[in-house]
This record gives sequence, structure tokens and C-alpha cells, in this order.
Amino acid sequence: MGAYIIRRLIAMAGMLVTLSVIVFLLFSVLPADPARLVCGKSCTPSIIKAINHKFGYDQPLAVQYKEFVQGIFVGRTYGEGKAAFDCHVPCLGYSFLRNEDVTTLIKDTLPITAQLALGGFVLWILVGVSIGIVAALKRGKWQDRTIMGAALVGYSFPSFFIALLLIFFVQIKFAVLGFHSYTSFFDSPAEWFKALVLPWIAVAMLYAAFYSRLTRNQMLETLGEDYIRTARAKGLRERTVIGKHGLRAGLTPIVTAAGLDLAGLLGGALIIEQVFALPGLGRLSVDSVTTSDLPVITGTVMVAAFFIILANLVVDLLYAVIDPRVRLA
Amino acid sequence: MSLASDHAVEATSTSAESAEIAGRSLTQIAWRRLRRDKVAMTSLLVVLVIVSIAALAPVITRLVGVDPSSFNDKAVSDAGGLPLGRLGGVSLAHPLGVEPGTGRDLFARLLYGSRISLLIALSATLITVTLGVSVGIVAGYSRGWLDSALGRLMDVILAFPLILILLALSNVLTQRLETTFHLGELVARVLYLILVLSLFGWPYLARIVRGQVLSLREREFVESAVSMGAGTPRILFREILPNLWAPILVYATLLLPTYIAAEAALSYLGVGLVPPTPSWGAMLADSVRYFAVDPAFLFIPGTYLFVVVLAFNLLGDAVRDALDPRAGRA
Amino acid sequence: MGKAKIGLRSAAVVSLAAMALAACGGGSSGGSSGKSGNTPAGQPVKGGTLTMLSLNQEFTDLDPQRAYTGEDIAFLNAYMTRSLTAFKVSRDPKEQGTLVPDMATDTGTPANGGKDWSFTLRDGMKWEDGSPVTCEDVKYGVSRTFATDVITGGPTYAIQYLDIPSAKDGSSVYKGPYTTKGNDTAAYDKAVVCEGNKITFHLAKPVGDFNYTVTLGMGAVPKAADTAEKYTKKIVSNGPYKIQAYTKGNQMVLVRNENWSKDSDSYRPAYPDKIVVKFGLDQSVIDQRMIRDSGADQQAFMRESLLSSDLATVFNDPRYESRRVTNFSPYVIYRVINVEKVPDLKQRQAIAVAMDRAQLRQILGGKFAGDIADGVIKPNLAQDYAPSGMWTGLLGKTIPDSGDPEYAKQLIKDSGKPMPTITYSYSQNPDADKGAASIKSSLEKAGMKVKLNPIEASAYYTTIFDKSRATELMANGWGPDWPNASTVIPPLFTLKGGWDVGLVNDKAYNEKVAAALSETDRAKQATMWQDLNKEAMQQAWVVPTLFENDQRLAGSKVKSASGQNGQLYIGGSAGNWPYNDMYVQK
Repeated sequence: MGAYIIRRLIAMAGMLVTLSVIVFLLFSVLPADPARLVCGKSCTPSIIKAINHKFGYDQPLAVQYKEFVQGIFVGRTYGEGKAAFDCHVPCLGYSFLRNEDVTTLIKDTLPITAQLALGGFVLWILVGVSIGIVAALKRGKWQDRTIMGAALVGYSFPSFFIALLLIFFVQIKFAVLGFHSYTSFFDSPAEWFKALVLPWIAVAMLYAAFYSRLTRNQMLETLGEDYIRTARAKGLRERTVIGKHGLRAGLTPIVTAAGLDLAGLLGGALIIEQVFALPGLGRLSVDSVTTSDLPVITGTVMVAAFFIILANLVVDLLYAVIDPRVRLA
Repeated sequence: MSLASDHAVEATSTSAESAEIAGRSLTQIAWRRLRRDKVAMTSLLVVLVIVSIAALAPVITRLVGVDPSSFNDKAVSDAGGLPLGRLGGVSLAHPLGVEPGTGRDLFARLLYGSRISLLIALSATLITVTLGVSVGIVAGYSRGWLDSALGRLMDVILAFPLILILLALSNVLTQRLETTFHLGELVARVLYLILVLSLFGWPYLARIVRGQVLSLREREFVESAVSMGAGTPRILFREILPNLWAPILVYATLLLPTYIAAEAALSYLGVGLVPPTPSWGAMLADSVRYFAVDPAFLFIPGTYLFVVVLAFNLLGDAVRDALDPRAGRA
Repeated sequence: MGKAKIGLRSAAVVSLAAMALAACGGGSSGGSSGKSGNTPAGQPVKGGTLTMLSLNQEFTDLDPQRAYTGEDIAFLNAYMTRSLTAFKVSRDPKEQGTLVPDMATDTGTPANGGKDWSFTLRDGMKWEDGSPVTCEDVKYGVSRTFATDVITGGPTYAIQYLDIPSAKDGSSVYKGPYTTKGNDTAAYDKAVVCEGNKITFHLAKPVGDFNYTVTLGMGAVPKAADTAEKYTKKIVSNGPYKIQAYTKGNQMVLVRNENWSKDSDSYRPAYPDKIVVKFGLDQSVIDQRMIRDSGADQQAFMRESLLSSDLATVFNDPRYESRRVTNFSPYVIYRVINVEKVPDLKQRQAIAVAMDRAQLRQILGGKFAGDIADGVIKPNLAQDYAPSGMWTGLLGKTIPDSGDPEYAKQLIKDSGKPMPTITYSYSQNPDADKGAASIKSSLEKAGMKVKLNPIEASAYYTTIFDKSRATELMANGWGPDWPNASTVIPPLFTLKGGWDVGLVNDKAYNEKVAAALSETDRAKQATMWQDLNKEAMQQAWVVPTLFENDQRLAGSKVKSASGQNGQLYIGGSAGNWPYNDMYVQK
């Protein structure tokens, strides 16, 4: 197991390096004129040159990449003379548009995305898995049909439409919930909850539909397996059969999907954050794209990719724990 | 947020793994099952209607007497530019009302919007399937270094936050396409969306196909073909491919609605098409600021988009059930 | 340029922010309570929390040398960053353009025919850490502008006006306070001189309104606290408030600066105890909150403008009468015609004539959006505005608001040359897309071929200022830096001006502009600007389409001491709130 983990970690590092190179190459085609963006109304070629020099954009791509990597592991210094400043480890770059370290920007926004993702995650797993089990147990009956029908309907809602509908009905039409902007839990738990409850529901609605279908199908499949029949024949209680044997074996794909979806969300819930105006990582990404804030785009893409790769690893490890049949190949 | 295409994959892969490899007779069995399924037939009908409406959009709009690009200052208020009349200006002249500000006809814009959306989704699905199947077969059959190289490639692509990349590169790459191939802006944008959706979408399918091929190549009919001296291409495309169509079909029907929704989401986030070309996502993005005063402008395109995606999903579901009765509805 | 944050979906605001960029004005504000209001029914009260709701993620710049958005400058000047002089706070448009002293004891003394300007600083001014605000702090602040690779995006009048020689490449020999390498610090020390409390600026040429210039980008910065690049996120206040907490994308909290004293400041009444700015909200949500006016939102107001979609709700209902404001924004919206791509006068006029200005206005909200424009100088630049007659004969005929395609066809025929294909570039957002569709159809009615070129907002100005990527027709907007058309005509129509998108470079015109700039008789100068505006319209260098309006809504308890009966208003050349004397009604 230990050797397996180490092997996987090395592979993961390799992936990250590959990814960072690709991201760098991909974004090098973006109009490389970040200086013009910050230069302002009275801009001259010499100012542009000086700004480009300061941020290293006058260097060849390979050198820029080297500096980027160096920044992550040993930090780097921008500017010269008295205006020089350090960007500390892990330095993912410096946003000339926002005058802020990319690392700081991500540190500020990631917790909000994490709260959104985790809250939504808990909701969708609870709802999705439990109604999926109900559907499986009532296979073919009206409960099953209703749940599966509803799930398919939920699954077919484009994410932004669901979010907009929630805002329309809950906040505007029936005004059940006022308008709340994100507040830290420690400042005001009530405000915090009110600001996040709709986004959570929106996320949960999007995913629960899929998870109920997945759970149901998994359950049906495992319940048909021989060992379940054996367990039943042994006279085990139905609850034990379903809970211990059925669900556990059927859990693997659910864990896989859940891990990957959670990781995807952690990388930024672009649309949900946009619609609900949550200052998370997704909002940061979209904003940096619309303002061509290259260092931030690179940083957020790397972070998002990191989560996905990490989730893959974790999921594979969990596999081994949950389902002993999986070989550590 | 993920494009949800991973959803489609997971849903399919589980059933695909368990799917019996279909022979010819299964086709007929499946089709018979499908025909007995009322939901399936209804959704098939809806899908056909949607597709024909999109194809015939110019004819239909001419019959109704509307077009997607004419302004109508009389249909909106001078103060504020809101549609006059109820439900966003629904009237005989404008069956689904008009767009705020311009008075352009929503019915016509919705129809024309569906043309573009379906074109993008269909083409992207076709390319995705072609790429995914080819790579999947090659990887699965070759094993060895080629397999692991392709596997790594898929891993890397799957690790990319797709929407973000799409957003970041859209303008630049669209311009590149425009200048490199001397395309119109609209064509270049459509092409860009199709290409990027499929380039980032194929690995999911490739993985499924690879898994299938791995088990297929151990089967007797393949071994006998090998022993009879058949060449690799022949084995791949004559012996193995025909046995894969079931999971591929299921995957494709579920992928299509995913791409429709993805295209709308991208337009919503700003990777829009060039005006005056209408697009669903752009309409919805625009409707956000009107939803307190003109909710019809939000609901009409939103509902239509929802119905289209739902119909495709239902159909895809039914196809899967028909091919794989074990996961079936009942 | 690039100073405006672009929200993805808040199109109405984007159109303003993205098109207009840095319009600048000095601080609004001023005057103690009720001075300019005749009947101050609501007596201003101290205390309470004032909340501003903004769709922006953060203040682009807090740095006094870098802030270049009129609304931000007004906010910062009213609460944290004082300037030598400031604009009078008054709801009377004529008074809004007058100067009052702020850090200085008067509005400045010119000498040497306007080449030397001195200001004497008040006593007792302090930074938030308790140290005194000195002449050296002002001098140091102004010097930062010269570090053009560090202090980016701000006004650069200091570089343009101060008597400091240029190096070979045209840049100043002085490079700011951060570098020593090849830096001529002595040149700066000669141009800006501190004698005790008196600061003197030596200018290269006479500048009649230099005391207006000092309202822009010439605030003080304490050298010890300067963090160069990063100062713009965390400044040291010398005003009545200081930053207690600032989370970008979320909120900023200002509390009273205990080291500020009323005795050292006759400009700021400083009513509220606390000022909170909530960032990153959706404009449609802000609108709804303001419309509803419930609970804490009664003490809140919006920073940006109402969405055009909400205007009918707010302006057709008398319930909102005491809370809504409408006024000209500083901006004129126009379309630039590239004179290198369309050199023929008749063809340029044809474009202007064919355009359906009424429809363009309709898209932005009809009569609420503003008035059909007839030039680049707007009526709220009261002294310099005169009708240009562009649509009433200047182009040979009266042109209806919906355009005259037949006459445009005639003009193209008269030009005797084939009309080039017109590619229209614009910064993309939903409203701009609709506008582009309208322009396409109206020009096509006059027989022109039109291509549309939507550009991502952040890349827009980079693109159109690149000569190889500029197209025949381009969207644009402009507002003055202070109430003088010297901040409108020269930037827009002379190559040196910096915002000459259409590449106009007309020798005779340049000379007339130079003459107007050095004219010291303000009334005479105004007439000159009016003529130059008219000539530019006759030349059809631009097609002005809209004198834009700005509509906002505030909570029922937010008042202004200088407003009529305490009612809020927006005004000044930046069209901003009167932050200075806003208070929370009990």
C-alpha cells in the first residue's frame, strides 16, 4: 500500500508539471500585452516597456516558466530599487491588475468556494443517496417512478437556470428570503447561512438528481448479486443486507463520482458563484478571464487542476479501502 | 463547475460495463422494447419536432410573419424599453413576446437560437464520439506503451477545468481560426466551440471504449480472427467496433444534451456568438437583469432550453434501458 | 483605460464603465451643512452607519496617485485622501465647478504669468498614525507619479506640466522616488519646492487652471508608509475616516480617524460614524434591495447606476420620488470614425447621417437613457456647451433622430468613390450587441456593407489603439477630467491628446487647439471650445449618439446636507454622490 501511494504521488507531481507547462503554452497565445492593460490613459511605449520588464514579460517563455516554478518553491522578487517587493512561497505570480499576490487572492476566495462546495456536497449526498435507495427498494413502484422522473427533470435543468429560478421565486416573487451578501460565519452565523442557503440548494439540486439515479442503479445491480442472495438466505435482517452488503459494494462508483464532483466544485463553481455573487474562486477565475488578468488565470487553472488530480488519487485510495476486490495495480 | 459530462459518463460506464455485448438480434429486441416505452416514444417525438423546427426555422418564422433581427420600437415602451403588453409582449404579431430594448421577436430568436445550439451540440457529439472511439480502441487493443501514453494524455486532459479554459481562450483562438482559415467571425466562433467541446470531451468515452475493448479482445471471435491471420485494422474495425455500438449510442444520446447545456452556459458566461445571431445562453444572460420586471423574458428561453435537454435526456435514458434491461425502469 | 471593472452581466453598467473609463473629477463635497440648501428640512445628524453597495469587486485604486475613476476619487477624497484644493459641494451645477481650499489655506496663488503656483498648507493636519501632514508629504506624493512602471494607471498631469526636462526617449529625466539608477532627482527638487508650509510648483508652460489640476492625482503620501505598488490596497488616511477592515470582493469598513480634527479641515463635516462598502453584488440585486428599502438597506445607497430595466419601475412611481436621482452622467457616448480608413468627408458624414440614434437610445432605456447628443461637449459642462447644430443643418440638412438613409446614399454618391466596408468594433456586452445589430441594419439601409467586430471588454482599448487592428467605426465614450473642455477636445481630436481613437491629425485644427489651451480668458476659451466642437462634428470625426443619463436610488434614511430638503443628488463633473456631507437620518 505504501509503495502504491508513493508511486501515485510521484505520478501526481508529474501530472502537475505537465499541466503547468501546457497551461503556460496555452496562455502564451493570449495577447501578451498585460502592460497596456494597467498602463492607463497616458501611456507611452517606454512605460509599457518598463512594466513588461518589471513583470518579466520581456523574457522568453522558457525563462518566464522557470521563474514561475521558482516562485512556487523559493518565492520571487518583483520590481527594482525601493519599489521591489517579495512574493512569498508558494508564489503563484502577481496580479498587476489587482496589485495582489495570486496566492493571496486564492487564499481569500478558496474558503468561500469550499464552504459552498462542502455544504452543497453534504446536501446532495444526503438527499441523492437516500432517495436513490428508496427508489431501488421500491423498484418499479410509483415511488421509484416519481423519484426517477423528478431526478431526470432536475438533471435536465441548466445550472444557471436553476439558480435564476431560485432567486426569482425565493427572493423576488415570494420574498421569503431577503437579499444577503456573503458574511463570514464568525461575524454573523445567521447572515452567513442566509447568504449561502440558496447557493447550497442550487448546487444540491444539480447534483442530487444524478446521485439518486446512480445510487439506485448501483443498488439494483448489487442487490442482484449472488452474495446478497446468500446473505439473505443466511437469514440476515433486510436492513443489514442492504446497509452492510448492498450499499457498501455499490458505494465505489458513488465515491468516485462524489470525489471528482467535489473536486470540480472546489476548483470554482463558476456559474453558481456568478449568479449568486459569491466572492469565491470561480468568481475570481471568471473575473480574471474577463479582465485578461493572466497570472490569476494561470493560478486558478492550476489550483482547479490540482484538486481534480488530488481527488483522483484520493478516490483510488478509497476504492482500495472500500472494495477489497480492487487490486492496487 | 464540471460540465456534467462526467455525470453522463459515470452513468453510462456503470451500465456499459454490465451491458451485454449486443448482437444483431439484440438490435431488434432493443428497438421493440423502445417502441413499447411510451415515455421513450414521446421524447423521441419531441426530439424530432425540436430538430425539424430548428431545421425549418426560416420557413416557420416566415409563415408566422416574424424574423429574428428586425427591431420593433412600437413593441417596447419609450421609457425604459420594456415590452408593452402582458407576458413580455405576447401578441398575435409576436407569439412569444419581444426582447426588451429592441422589440425583436422572441419566437424567431428562440428558433434561430436552437439551430445554432443544435448544430454545435450535434457536431461536437459526432467529433467526440469519433475521437473517443478511435483512441479508445487503439489504446485498448495495443496495450503496452501506446496504451499507457494515451492513458496519461487522457488523465491530463481530464484534469483541466474545461469551462475556464474555454472562456480564457475563446477570443484569441476564435481570432486565430478566423485569420488562419479566412472564416467569418460567426463560423469561427461556432467552430471554436465545437472543437474545444470535443477536444476536451473525448477522453471520457475513450476510457469506456478502452475498457470494453480490453475484455473483447480476449473473446473467442477475436482470437479466431487473429488466428486466421486477419490484419489489425480489420480486427479493430470489423470485429471489435460492431460490438461497441451499444455503449457508444447510449453515451452519444446522453452527451448531446450535456453539450446543449454547456453551450448555453458558455454563452451565459460571455463566450457568446456574434450578434445579431441569437443564442439561448446569451438570451438568458441578458434576461437576468430583467427578471424582476419582465420575467417572461427569463422563463420563455429557459423553459425551452429545459424542454430540449429533458427530451434528449429521456430519450437517452430510454435507449439505455432498451439496450440494458437490467438497469431498466421496470 | 482598463480602469473600469467589467461585470459580466450587468450590462447597463458595463456600457457606462467600459466605454467611459477614467473620467475624473475632483471630490464632490464640501460646504458645511445647509449652506447651499435654502430650506434644510432635514437637519444633518452625526452618527450611524452609511452603507454603499457596489457591483465592483474592489476599489481599483485607493492610491491618491493612481485613482482615476471620478466616483472613486470623490469617495476617497471625501473620506480619506485630502487634496490641496477641492470642488465645492453644492447641488447647484454652476457652483459645483468652483474650487474651495482643502489642505491648502486658499485655492492657490499663481505667479510668473501662471508658470509658478504656490499653496500654503493648513496647520494641525495629521495622518492616521498621529504624525503631521507636511509639505514634504505632498511633494513626495506628487513625485510618485513619475515612477511610471510602479504607479500605473493614474493621471499624469504632474509629468506633463512640471518644469522637468525630457530624456531622449521623451520620458521625464526624473523617474520617481523608487530608483536611483540614472535618476535626476535634482530636477524634481527644482520643480517642486517646499519652504516651510508652502509648496511651490514650477511649470514648463503657463497653466491657467493648475489649481484644478491639483485635485487630480496630487494627494500627499507619507514616505515612511509608502509600499509602492501595494500602497494602492492599503493607504494611510489623512481624512476623517480610516480603513478598519478591507476584504476584496466582499467589504470595506471605514471608521473614524481619531487623529483627524475638525479644526484642520473646513471641508468635511464627517457625519456618519462608520462607512461600509459592500462589494461584488449583482446590480439587479442591488436594484431590488434599494427598491424594497427594508431594514438596514434604508441606510444604504448604490454606487453604480440603476439597470435600464429597472428605470420604469423607479421613475413611474411617485413612491420613489424622494429617493431617486437622475442627472447627466459625465459621459458622452459616440462612435469614432477612423479617418485613415474613411478619409473622405462625405463618406464619414454619410455614416453619421445613416445611423439610427433614436434606436440606439431606445436600446439603452429610451428617454431615461439620456438625450440625443450633438457633440462631444455635454450641457453639464455648462460654460463650454453650445448646440453644435450637427443634426439641424451642419451636415447640409436636418437629420431626423432615426437617421436619413436616402440622404446618406446621396452623400456616398456625391463622394464619387466606392464606400469601404464598415467594420464596427465594440466592447461586448448584451446592450452593446443590440446596439451593434442596430448600427448594422441602419447603415445597411443606406447601402453600406457592415461587419461587426465584438471585442472582449478587457481587450477593447488595447485592440482599438493598435493601429493595425483599428477598424472603420468604433464605439467610445468620454467624460471630462474637470469642468473645462480642455479635458475633452484635445484628448479626443489631437494625436498628442492620448485618446484620439480615430487618428485625427489635422494641422490647422491642432493649432486652434493649442491656441485655446493657452487662452487665459476663460469666457473666450469657452467660445473657442464651442467652435472646435462644431468643427469636429462637421468633419464627422465622430458620431455623437447620447448625452448619457445616470439614475440611482438610495435608501430612505440616506441624506445629503447640501441637497434640497436633505435629498440626495448627483453632480459635479464626475457626476458623483455628494459623499462629503451625506448623513444617516435618525
